[in-house]
Amino acid sequence: MEAKDFNTKEQNTWCPGCSNLGINQAVKEALADLVNEGKIKSKDIAISAGIGCHAKIYDYLNVNGFYGLHGRTIPVALGIKIGNPELTVLGFGGDGDTYAEGMAHFVHNCKHNANMTMLVHNNQTFSLTTGQSTPTSEKGFVGASTPFGEEESPINPMTLALVSGATFVARSYAFDITHLKEIIKKAINHKGFSFVEILQPCIIFHNTIPYFKDHIYKLEGNNTGDIEKAIELSREWDYSFDKDKKVSIGIFYETKKTTLEDQWSQYGKPCYLMERKIDWDKLSKEFK
Amino acid sequence: MKKTILIGGVAGQGSAVTSRFIGKIFCRLGYFVFNYRDYPSLIRGGHNFNILEISDTPVYSQGEKYDIILALDQKTIDLHKDGLKEEGFILGSDKLNSDKLNPIDIGGILKKLGGPQILENDVFIGFLFKYFGIDKDFLLQEAKNEFGNNFEKIQKAIEEGYGISTETEKLEKNGEGNYFISGNEAISIGALSAGIDIYFAYPMTPATGVLHYLAKKEKEYSIIVSQLENEIAVANAALGASFTGAKVMVGSSGGGFALMTEAISLSGISELPLVVYLSQRTGPATGVPTYTSQGDLKFAVNAGHGEFSKIVIAPGDPQESILRTEESFYLATKYRIPVILLGDKHLGELDYSFKELNNSNVSKERFIIDNPSQDYKTYQMTDNGVSPVAVPGQGPVVKATSYEHDEYGNTIEDAEATIKMNDKRMRKVDGIEKEVNNLNPATVYGKGKNLIIGWGSTKGAIVDALKKIEDFRFLQISYIVPFPKEILKQEVENSDRVILIENNMTGLLGGIIREQTGIDIKERILKYDGRPFTAEYIIKKINN
Repeated sequence: MEAKDFNTKEQNTWCPGCSNLGINQAVKEALADLVNEGKIKSKDIAISAGIGCHAKIYDYLNVNGFYGLHGRTIPVALGIKIGNPELTVLGFGGDGDTYAEGMAHFVHNCKHNANMTMLVHNNQTFSLTTGQSTPTSEKGFVGASTPFGEEESPINPMTLALVSGATFVARSYAFDITHLKEIIKKAINHKGFSFVEILQPCIIFHNTIPYFKDHIYKLEGNNTGDIEKAIELSREWDYSFDKDKKVSIGIFYETKKTTLEDQWSQYGKPCYLMERKIDWDKLSKEFK
Repeated sequence: MKKTILIGGVAGQGSAVTSRFIGKIFCRLGYFVFNYRDYPSLIRGGHNFNILEISDTPVYSQGEKYDIILALDQKTIDLHKDGLKEEGFILGSDKLNSDKLNPIDIGGILKKLGGPQILENDVFIGFLFKYFGIDKDFLLQEAKNEFGNNFEKIQKAIEEGYGISTETEKLEKNGEGNYFISGNEAISIGALSAGIDIYFAYPMTPATGVLHYLAKKEKEYSIIVSQLENEIAVANAALGASFTGAKVMVGSSGGGFALMTEAISLSGISELPLVVYLSQRTGPATGVPTYTSQGDLKFAVNAGHGEFSKIVIAPGDPQESILRTEESFYLATKYRIPVILLGDKHLGELDYSFKELNNSNVSKERFIIDNPSQDYKTYQMTDNGVSPVAVPGQGPVVKATSYEHDEYGNTIEDAEATIKMNDKRMRKVDGIEKEVNNLNPATVYGKGKNLIIGWGSTKGAIVDALKKIEDFRFLQISYIVPFPKEILKQEVENSDRVILIENNMTGLLGGIIREQTGIDIKERILKYDGRPFTAEYIIKKINN
């Protein structure tokens, strides 16, 4: 299987040169590799998407998909996983989607630990709505809704994921397809809730390419089993664009924990294959 | 035979458990029981009370005058003594004050038993059933079945009460035992009977009973009951699961339902089945959270932005709740639309009794095709608007989307395709209407040239009132969407006086009737104090 086997015939409406094209390519390559390695089956892949530029990926990936509502990609992905635990579930979200509208779902799913992968396209701006500030926009960000500059400091989703109990926390970069592909593969292979933040510069409303070019470095040899170290590492960059900051990409943390599906011993098979025959007399007798 | 017993105390004293147990025993003896429950929104303290209506013929509402008041505190006496019948009496501790009090030395008995205060309930139970001449062994066996562990002390307490009481009115067995069930329990077993796979919910009174019941049954029936972070997650996760072919239901009251409405719209365009149980309480907003209302009718009918087909069903009692829940699953699954099952506190949390309890014979199929082709189209154009259903994992790529789309589920924005897909979804309505015509969308009770029109839980009080008023029929509307226009028009045309009865302030069904048929029903009996109708109240209003 090749990456291009996941192509669709839909017309691509991302801007020419959009970093989402890199993410799309990395995802296809990762999925093709995993299928070829026998880790997953193509027919069992199911994705969910929120609303925003990221979500157009739904139309460009030839896999089962649910194009949901803004902010709700995570609950939809969770529902897919609960309905059919045999599926390989990937959620796609933007930063506005995941950290603004859907923040509650993000935090709680770090806790639920269902076996699925959440990929956040973080461009630190709302782009499809023409460039407003999101929870990860830096202080001073000038957008249509903050013409005098964003007054507040951004939240740190990496720290948040770690303290909320996510069992796989990683970061990658949309323009480093090879790195991103490997991270996505590891995230899918991880049993539990895998959170991957993808730095995804918006070339129209928030062009951070020059900054990332100079400040990104790849993690090597960090202790991914140490939560305190991981939290410390997550605080290295505060989503600002200060010239003396460094931005690490790679796996921050990885651990094993009971998954949501493991809690339900009655799980037999996908719901749609369950044959349910109810003994009405037995069921109603409880009330007599 | 007809007895009305009021049981009251502060929250935590056990009036709800005691009254349900007494009701259950009367049901076991073949009597019909209606167990009204009234409680404020707090955990300990306040004033809770139940009214048990016990009769040898079917009864579906609580009376206003009591034969016995079982008082667990002085407040119960102070608040309800005016409702005591002339020949009635109050049963309570000798520490309480009333000239109607039959005093029991609860302090002395509890000291002897060395037991906690809660045992006084069992002393009163013993007293009461000896009063009615019920066999002690039968009573103890029932108590053992009900309370299981820690039974020893309960048994002693019941025996103490039994011992100090005198048989006064001998009640004979009234045939085979009856079923005793609340609306929430009925919706739960209706869902199980329909083949539910997953129930998603966030706790909210008065819908929580379904969450509790199904959670208990999770292992036995291999279902999943999942409480998520909020109702938005609940409804969206439900659609995710529905996408995989699971039969799902979500439940809440008005406030939680408000958060679900974005997903109801999503269910509409993505054509993913979703059963939503909306148990109404007194609004707006937090309102009077533990009291009843029919204030969300139009909210349910209009829930979700945009135009799409949906179904709204309002059962009138637990037996109907079982059938309507099964129908909800059937119609949602077959037509791939949202179905709202509209109840309220009065239906959900109160116990009703029935000679029989039946489930429905509607299909429990999943309506998923075998071996879908590789060129599968989720939104394939069909004459009836319903596309063949495949699910992820079967083989072909399956898509579901909140965007307007082509037959494959790919995003489109062009004008012609937008019209085509809207028309496709709306075409389902014809099939649904035909189908619903065979599901008793409206029912007429009684005979007479005058007509009462109502819906939902007011059925009980209206049916009970009908026995005591001359020349009235009752038309119960069970399907709100699609609305049974023809039945309504015909019934109204054939009636002299037409009265609308609703547990809300503005006569919401009246508005829907006007919209659907052009008929304006002028005479209305409306109640919006959070309390349900009684038969007496309805009779008084009609006769004035």
